[in-house]
Amino acid sequence: MLPLLTTIVFLPLVGAAITAFLPKDRAGLPRMVALVVSLIDLALVIWLVASFDAGGGLQFVERARWIPEAGIQYFMGVDGISLPLLFLSALLLPISILASWKVSERPSFYFAMILLLAVGMNGVFVALDFVLFYVFWELVLVPMYFLIAVWGGPRREYAAIKFFLYTLFGSVFMLVGILALYLHPAGGTFDMMALAGSGFPAGFQWWAFAAFFLGFAVKVPVFPFHTWLPDAHVEAPTAGSVLLAGILLKMGTYGFVRVSLPLLPEAAATWAWFVALLGVISIVYGAAVAFAQTDLKKLVAYSSVSHMGFVMLGIASATPEGLNGAVAIMFAHGVITGMLFLLVGMVYERTHTRMIADVSGLSKQAPVAAGMLAFASFASLGLPGLAGFVGEFLSLVGAWRSELVPSGLVIAAAVGVLLAAAYMLWMVQRTVLGTQSKEVEGITDLTRLEIGILIPLVVITVVMGVYWSSILRYVDPAVNALLASMGAV
Amino acid sequence: MLSGYWHFVPEVLVVAGALVALFGEFMPGRGRGAAYIAAALAALAALLVAFGGTGAPMVFGLVEPDGIARFARAGVAGLTAVWALWVAGRGMPDERRRDAVAFAMFAAAGGMLLSMAEDLIVMYIALELSTMPAYVLMGYRRRDVEGLEGALKYFLLAMLTSILMLYGLSFLYGISGSTAFADITLGGSGALGLVAVLLTLVGLLAKMSAAPFHYWAPDAYAGALPSSVAFVSTVPKIAGITVIARLMAAIAPEMPELVGVLAVASAASMVLGNLAALPQSELRRLMAYSGVAHTGYLLMALAPGTDIGYAAAVFYAVAYSVPSMAVMLVVAEEGTGITDLGQLATRRPWLAWSMVLWLLSLIGIPPLAGFFGKLYLFGAAVDGSLWLLVVLGILTSVVSAGYYFRIVREMFFGESPVARGGGPVVAEQPAAMVALVVLAVAVAAIGIGASPLLRGIGALLG
Repeated sequence: MLPLLTTIVFLPLVGAAITAFLPKDRAGLPRMVALVVSLIDLALVIWLVASFDAGGGLQFVERARWIPEAGIQYFMGVDGISLPLLFLSALLLPISILASWKVSERPSFYFAMILLLAVGMNGVFVALDFVLFYVFWELVLVPMYFLIAVWGGPRREYAAIKFFLYTLFGSVFMLVGILALYLHPAGGTFDMMALAGSGFPAGFQWWAFAAFFLGFAVKVPVFPFHTWLPDAHVEAPTAGSVLLAGILLKMGTYGFVRVSLPLLPEAAATWAWFVALLGVISIVYGAAVAFAQTDLKKLVAYSSVSHMGFVMLGIASATPEGLNGAVAIMFAHGVITGMLFLLVGMVYERTHTRMIADVSGLSKQAPVAAGMLAFASFASLGLPGLAGFVGEFLSLVGAWRSELVPSGLVIAAAVGVLLAAAYMLWMVQRTVLGTQSKEVEGITDLTRLEIGILIPLVVITVVMGVYWSSILRYVDPAVNALLASMGAV
Repeated sequence: MLSGYWHFVPEVLVVAGALVALFGEFMPGRGRGAAYIAAALAALAALLVAFGGTGAPMVFGLVEPDGIARFARAGVAGLTAVWALWVAGRGMPDERRRDAVAFAMFAAAGGMLLSMAEDLIVMYIALELSTMPAYVLMGYRRRDVEGLEGALKYFLLAMLTSILMLYGLSFLYGISGSTAFADITLGGSGALGLVAVLLTLVGLLAKMSAAPFHYWAPDAYAGALPSSVAFVSTVPKIAGITVIARLMAAIAPEMPELVGVLAVASAASMVLGNLAALPQSELRRLMAYSGVAHTGYLLMALAPGTDIGYAAAVFYAVAYSVPSMAVMLVVAEEGTGITDLGQLATRRPWLAWSMVLWLLSLIGIPPLAGFFGKLYLFGAAVDGSLWLLVVLGILTSVVSAGYYFRIVREMFFGESPVARGGGPVVAEQPAAMVALVVLAVAVAAIGIGASPLLRGIGALLG
């Protein structure tokens, strides 16, 4: 059988190599190559989803020797938790390539970096050997550094290196955690599946949990490790923001679900209150700071901090509802925030400003753009019937039911939902409605290409919001299996 | 006892290469041809070592061509071949290239012997053979007063520490009554044994530019030709760390205090090296301090005194030397100031991207050589429960990313020195290009294909 996961992961690498060596005088060629590669990748992932057995556990497993001297394998597979994230990653890739259609500065370099980034993103979600996981985890740093530093805003170099150093700081601690698990007598392997339920002693689990926590928390990012995020988002080009918020942040929360819970269950239970506390602080703090923003892109960036807080809350609860909710938010946030960043980019291209005050009255001049922005904002604030609601509702229910999470925190998180509604609606009121500002005068509405980019995301947002089991039927069996292996169900 | 002399064939080849280069007066191509022949002989020696297998202790137990020695010798010969190829192509400014190649080849022969040493006298002689030519290379330009001053500093300090080491070796001999590593018995020798070991280590650590004996390195490097630094800062380190590992394997079980000594030297090197490298904009100084830092990582692997630690140290020595030599060769081509690399990405894109690979490997980003090196040495330290060292190593790795990325930033976002009127774009030279491409491929291949290498050293983690 065709090694499907290997093909999905490394096809973009082939594309990147082709893109890098294309003749320099054909400026339109790199984006075509990138688009074709990303669409083939998406088609393969859709095929994978179609042939995935929802209740069948780990599937499409590929296992080979790599460095047996250190017990390192080439081990890949997908289950119901990684499947939605792999799909999200494959979906956002062609969308971000189309959103960068007009990039004219060093296009072959640009699209090679986007494709290289895709290798890391796809790889993280399917790797099941810790060293392979770490390879993909770090692989995203370099292309993202260049995407921000070359095609970013005015403070791009500062933002790029800040992103690089912060996340490197976290991930090297994760590396020590990985080594500690491997060298512990109860561990002895880099196989992430085999390490689940190894029964590490509680004291050891605490230390290992702390090391992994640093690695994941910086990536998510959880308060107080979030300070790299606004800089990176504001300076990154649109496609960079979409992939950063859509996929890269999920790597952190995915790490919590894939590593911290099943491998270190006792520490996860002991520190659940702490994870939940940081999650709730992120929710409230992110929302409060989003309120104060005058820059649209910063507002969306801080709203991400807030939404990722809900994911953390769901994970901390260690209940079926909470974990289903966490995965659902990861997916929905990728789609919805992708939409928001795309729209902010489209508005910016026309008005050359991202200041909320300067883009008021969009609805009269550009009704489609305004409508899309309103729709994405409603989805983001968690309107029932749209995708954002599913996960937030479930993670709150899970946290409320969980004995690990203090009820006071859940109430505080619910306040965060209200705040999200408030800052999002206020933003919509000031941009979509309001008197028309001079920057908005005379701008054109969205082009067909731009609408075409947004439509798949709109459809997914509605379908998932109405028909929850479109995603949960994959997630739920995997979550239950995971909790059963922890002995919590 | 005298069988198995074929194990010395690679060393003989390297010395033959040195002689060809030295007496290449009558070769065609004004010494260039001789340098190419020397490079080819060194490459052949590296291949012979790599595929030559290992052997038991030989020549009355003076040397042992085991797995660790094989890896180190192949690394020494291979890197010397690449360096000689580059020098054959680009030459040394103002001086004859073939003499430089000859000196490097002698040093390489010494390093290869040193990697196999199982005896104090062999160790001392091989160490001197591998460092004597290095002094000459460091002051290679006769009319360059600054360079000579740096070389003199290096020479005097190295001599002083060599003599201290010899003093220590005499005690070791006095205590155990034999010069063989295997016969060293320190049990019950008390303070005298510790003093003997410490004096010996002073000599070895100073040659490795480990803190607190690192002060010579930045000054000496900054005065020398970058192409000389490319050799002197890398190849002797591989042999040096290998012989320290061999000596440690003999001594450490009898002297648990050594863990503390090496741990302190390691911590000091990592912290001082990385922090001092941070503000440097003279690339030779920057790489000198980064070399101090990497010596700290090497010592971290040695500190626990385990087999896996020794293997990790030798593996990392090569994983460090490949990119470090490459970066210094680029400095030799482009200029020694960090701004000299400005916009390298537009002038010579292949070189800028190779630089990114080398720098990422030095930081320890997977799947490059430096990552697997660090994975192994952190693994050895975790295995030895040296948690404080591990945390220091992690934090300083992140610091190192800060200064390595200043180079990346300059290459991609800096201002071109050509635009500032700093001279024409450096023309490509085929042999030098091949040498650099080999180093770029090596840094990826050593990482992804680490499996056979690790099996060769006999390293099993966990």
